[in-house]
Amino acid sequence: MTATEPDPRHRMVIKAELAELARLATWAEAFARSARLSANLLFAIQLCIEEAVANIIMYSGAAERREDVAVELMQAGDDVVAIIEDGGRSFDPTTAPAHRKPTTIEEAQVGELGIHLMRSFSAGIKYERRDGRNRLTLRFNPAHAA
Amino acid sequence: MDLAVEDIAEGVTKVVLRGRIDTTRAVLIELPFNTLAADKRAIVVDLTAVEFLASYGLRVLLMGAKIVNGKGGKLAIVCADNNVAKVLRMSGGSELIPVFEDQDTAVAAVARRA
Repeated sequence: MTATEPDPRHRMVIKAELAELARLATWAEAFARSARLSANLLFAIQLCIEEAVANIIMYSGAAERREDVAVELMQAGDDVVAIIEDGGRSFDPTTAPAHRKPTTIEEAQVGELGIHLMRSFSAGIKYERRDGRNRLTLRFNPAHAA
Repeated sequence: MDLAVEDIAEGVTKVVLRGRIDTTRAVLIELPFNTLAADKRAIVVDLTAVEFLASYGLRVLLMGAKIVNGKGGKLAIVCADNNVAKVLRMSGGSELIPVFEDQDTAVAAVARRA
């Protein structure tokens, strides 16, 4: 496959480095354009991918081990599904404690804020540990993102 | 430029952020923003031209507010009713930092009364 051919699976593999996040955002934008997604849906997709992948890079140990992170985007009827896979430490964001809205600024932890934003902006989150890899599936719905 | 700083009326400093405040950019903004928060007592952060705000950027804003509040100052945000405002609302950020849709109200909220 040459670089100019579109990838039919809409799959992007990046190094576990923060500098790679911008490439993911641009890639998600191109996907949204070709799929004619609304600006609100694109915002939700970009935000959740950013939060999930930034958490992997900062906290999973994948960066130290020079692991890759793979992100896939696909349409499922009106919905969009994003699958994020990494080989870092086992971490299930769906079982992280529910975020209380912080009443003081000291309580606002960045990782916790990210998970809360994923829960708020996606229509559903599923986590699986498969073959030593974390697999996070996020579902996005146009009505939910409106 | 990462952040544009301008002293406006009534001893209020306005900080204008633009474009995408993603994780990478928020890391770059963190230090200059904290320095500014340590320096000033009345800050209005204009997010009107911000298209994207990730949790790290939100945390930078919250930490800045903590520094300003800690010395008896005030920090407020100006933001249109968009997805960035939704990020502030959903995370509880808007309960910790006052958010206004127009600059005049935000300035009035942080300015020290004579």
